[in-house]
Amino acid sequence: MRLASLLLSTVAAAALALPGLAGAAPVKIGFINTITGAEAPIGETMTNGLELALEDLKKQGVDVKVIRQDDTGKPDKAISAIEQLATGDEVTAIVGPYTSACANAVAKQAEQYGVPQVIPAASKEEITRQGYKWVFRVNAPANVYAKALIDAALAFGKPKSVAFIYESTDFGSSLSKVGKEYAVAKGLTVVADEAYQKGSPDYRSTLSKVKGQNPDLVFMVSYVADAILLMRQSRELGLKPQAFLGGGAGFDTAQFEGEKDISTNVFSVTQWTPDSSKASMEFAARYQAKFGKRPTYHAACTYTSMMVVGAAVKKGGADRAKVREALATDTWQTIMGEVKFEAYDGYNNQNHNAMPVIQYQAGKSVTVFPAKVATAKAVYPFPGWK
Amino acid sequence: MAIFLQSLLSGILVGGVYALIGIGLTIIFGVMRVINFAHGDLLMLGMYVTWGLFALFNIDPYLSLLITAPVLFLWGVLLQKVFINRVLNALPQNQILLTIGMGLVMSNAIMLAFTSDYRILTTSYTSSAFQVFGLSVSQPLLYSFLITVAITGALFWFLQNTDTGQAIRATAQDRDAAQLMGINVKRMSVLAFGLGTAMAGIAGALLAPTYYIFPQVGGPFTLKAFVVVVLGGMGSIVGATLGGILIGVTESLSAVYVASGLKELVVYVLFLLILLFRPAGLLGKSRT
Amino acid sequence: MSSLLRSLRTPRGFSAPAFLAYLAVIGLVALVPQFSRKPLILHMWIMVFLAIAQGSAWNIVGGYAGQYSVGHAAYFGIGAYTTMLLLELHQIAPWYGIGLSMLNAVLLSVVIGSITFRLRGPYFVLASISMAEIIRLAALHFKDLTRGAEGILLNGIPPLETPWFTVKFLGKVPFFYTSLGLAVIVISVTWFVQHSKLGYTFQAIREDQDAAHSLGINPTLHKNLALMLSAAFTAAAGSLFALYVRFIDPNIAFGIDVSVQMVLICIIGGIGTILGPVVGSVVLVLLSESLRNPKWLVQAGLLADSSPTVAFIEARLSNAHVLFYGVLVVVVVLFAPEGFLGLLRTAVARVKKRLAAKPTPPSQPAAAA
Repeated sequence: MRLASLLLSTVAAAALALPGLAGAAPVKIGFINTITGAEAPIGETMTNGLELALEDLKKQGVDVKVIRQDDTGKPDKAISAIEQLATGDEVTAIVGPYTSACANAVAKQAEQYGVPQVIPAASKEEITRQGYKWVFRVNAPANVYAKALIDAALAFGKPKSVAFIYESTDFGSSLSKVGKEYAVAKGLTVVADEAYQKGSPDYRSTLSKVKGQNPDLVFMVSYVADAILLMRQSRELGLKPQAFLGGGAGFDTAQFEGEKDISTNVFSVTQWTPDSSKASMEFAARYQAKFGKRPTYHAACTYTSMMVVGAAVKKGGADRAKVREALATDTWQTIMGEVKFEAYDGYNNQNHNAMPVIQYQAGKSVTVFPAKVATAKAVYPFPGWK
Repeated sequence: MAIFLQSLLSGILVGGVYALIGIGLTIIFGVMRVINFAHGDLLMLGMYVTWGLFALFNIDPYLSLLITAPVLFLWGVLLQKVFINRVLNALPQNQILLTIGMGLVMSNAIMLAFTSDYRILTTSYTSSAFQVFGLSVSQPLLYSFLITVAITGALFWFLQNTDTGQAIRATAQDRDAAQLMGINVKRMSVLAFGLGTAMAGIAGALLAPTYYIFPQVGGPFTLKAFVVVVLGGMGSIVGATLGGILIGVTESLSAVYVASGLKELVVYVLFLLILLFRPAGLLGKSRT
Repeated sequence: MSSLLRSLRTPRGFSAPAFLAYLAVIGLVALVPQFSRKPLILHMWIMVFLAIAQGSAWNIVGGYAGQYSVGHAAYFGIGAYTTMLLLELHQIAPWYGIGLSMLNAVLLSVVIGSITFRLRGPYFVLASISMAEIIRLAALHFKDLTRGAEGILLNGIPPLETPWFTVKFLGKVPFFYTSLGLAVIVISVTWFVQHSKLGYTFQAIREDQDAAHSLGINPTLHKNLALMLSAAFTAAAGSLFALYVRFIDPNIAFGIDVSVQMVLICIIGGIGTILGPVVGSVVLVLLSESLRNPKWLVQAGLLADSSPTVAFIEARLSNAHVLFYGVLVVVVVLFAPEGFLGLLRTAVARVKKRLAAKPTPPSQPAAAA
């Protein structure tokens, strides 16, 4: 009896030890994200995207261990996070951080330590324009958002004037700066240029002023839920341009989509759409089932970043240089389409992500531009409020 | 002209809610001389209670005031008894710090409990408006404004005409003298903090149908409440009401005639000017 | 040790043993990079030094002159922006830039002081907050000057060339010594403030402004002097922070968190004392890092990698580190209103009392050592 139990426990111990014997230790990947602080809501969708990627990597037999760090949205904390990951945990690669300020601070250190860094969703153009060898970015930078929207509007109709309303954040002002330049280049007149402090309960006066200018296009940028406030108050005031162009982010959330009264016929631009491919639909369905909400592009970008890093690790193991090599040269088929890090237009290691333009029709987002990926016909001009 | 009138109108209506936030802060400051840096976080709690009642039981946000206000009142009483009461005679910087700490604890506890997702509360009237002489009058703002007027009126009546109300006012005017007159100053402080918290909660509930809700929503409202209170005169309810409306209108008009990005700046400049040239505020009695 | 403690309790002037102890501590700290070049550890030292510089600078006007400014982000930000703009737009090296940024902050402090010092108590606090907010909003709006919300990204810092040596601002070590240097300077200035006639006038104003006035002290002048000193060093800290982090935007530089942090450092450590901000910075930086990233303790060699404490904090507390920060603030205000230094002093006094109660303490040699 005693012998039997001894034997059993020996077998059990051997069984537990086996995986450790069979394979090497899991490859450590750092994930820097904003878990607390004002940007936390988006950070959370990114964590969710990462979770799904980890499930998939496990299925593919890629053994990674993710070490998480919260940067609280502040660059000095992000530096502390990268120091810990690069020199303390000695991770093979890093995914993140979320905000541009943090991503840039981390990029500098990643380059110095020679740790491959894959940025999922920070939009500041300069980050991948500093000639860094070890820094890769999956999402398209800020200028792409504005160009895609204005191109779409010009393809659908003949707008003459455009009004810009944007939050005074890095995202809002750099996006609309490019937007204004591009609009002028395309022969549009910019009739209003209104920056606002996010989080104000009342944008009615700004919107009345814009309404007084009678613009053909109203281009709005809001990172968060201000998008809903702007559209609600536009409806109250009866603002009726040819098209509402929403510059991504706040105009591309499940909540915005759900607010049918105000979202119907609004255009937005996104890094990723759930209807872009079969894999995307599956991802969206899994995400919905697991987290009870629609995935945002931040989730998809983080998922893609982690999958790309996973693929590179599969090839290069725990060796940083080999992983960097794989990231720099390989091409992957992902839910965001083909991902490849390239050098172009002064960018380095930048994924050339084309941003589709979507429109909300009957409470669902459909892709309307560019024509080759469109799944529905655009409603243009704006038919008016219900 | 239409733009001017439209902005003036929305300024006044939004100002009503600012006034309510300010009234809560002014009661607390008036009675206890404590600058409550957690005021915005109390407002945030009011929003979450309202959101919870709406999401779980589908109770209309305006109706839920009947629950939100007493809940927040009790919460304020608790905070006063456990925390604020201990620092009533402490250095002002310690009082400020305590309320900052309490605010951090409240917003982060809510974040852990409900995640930091934005919550949106949509009712049938959320983005509807009445059309009057070519101006659009936002339905939810109008309702909020009317409720604010009713509550401010009731509070004013309570402070003027009831024994407890007069005792609170006496405490606000001179704590020591009130104590000598046999007023239970401690009880008045508890009541005042409860009332102030309830007002912040009501303001949160009134904002809920037109705004969005997340754990860090309070910060900007705390600053705004300070401005409202100083403009009106610390401790003056009528002053806070006027201050709130003045700020609503200033913001609204400066968004049109200065720049949208500078409307808060204009408010702070106005605030400093009033501090310098009428330190007691528009309606406050001189305290020096 | 006991003489050091005595000097911080009742400082009456220069005390050679305390001064030597101070030099010895600086010397020891300065040797740190010789023993550990772990970037995270050096990073945390830098954060502590910058926090000490900010806290001590605030302490001059907040702790000694008793003017509780919650708007010091204005000076921190003006320092950060001046240095960064001069470097990025005009290629003016930061060692000149820091000097100009301090000058700029002094000018700003004269403007802000002349407005806010007309007010007292809570009104002063609110006025100082709104001044910092006005500057933050202006920095967001006037993009031609500041680049607005897009912020300023630093491409590189030119090397500092002297006839004897060249310093390249790469890695942590140069920042370790510059920020240590700044912290030492500001602590020394605080010492000077505490012991000079100027400092006595500040403290007189703190204790009773009207009485000080009746003794012939010009309160407005001296409050402004305190603010100018404070602003200059806050700006220097802001400049170093910007150079180290390499990116600033109006919210990072002028945000209200920055102002609150400075006040917190002093109150948690012990307001109006020389060592208060030092203790406060160490406690605050280490505690917030321990809650956010407990593994630094492993790197510092204080805990083993397998330690259950690390696992516990990571599993249970990592999302709640700001919550604990808040709890700490509440606990300190309620139970240690004079900060950690106050607690230490009470403890020392209690031990002494107990020792004094025993006529022949057996531990006498130990206490002397």
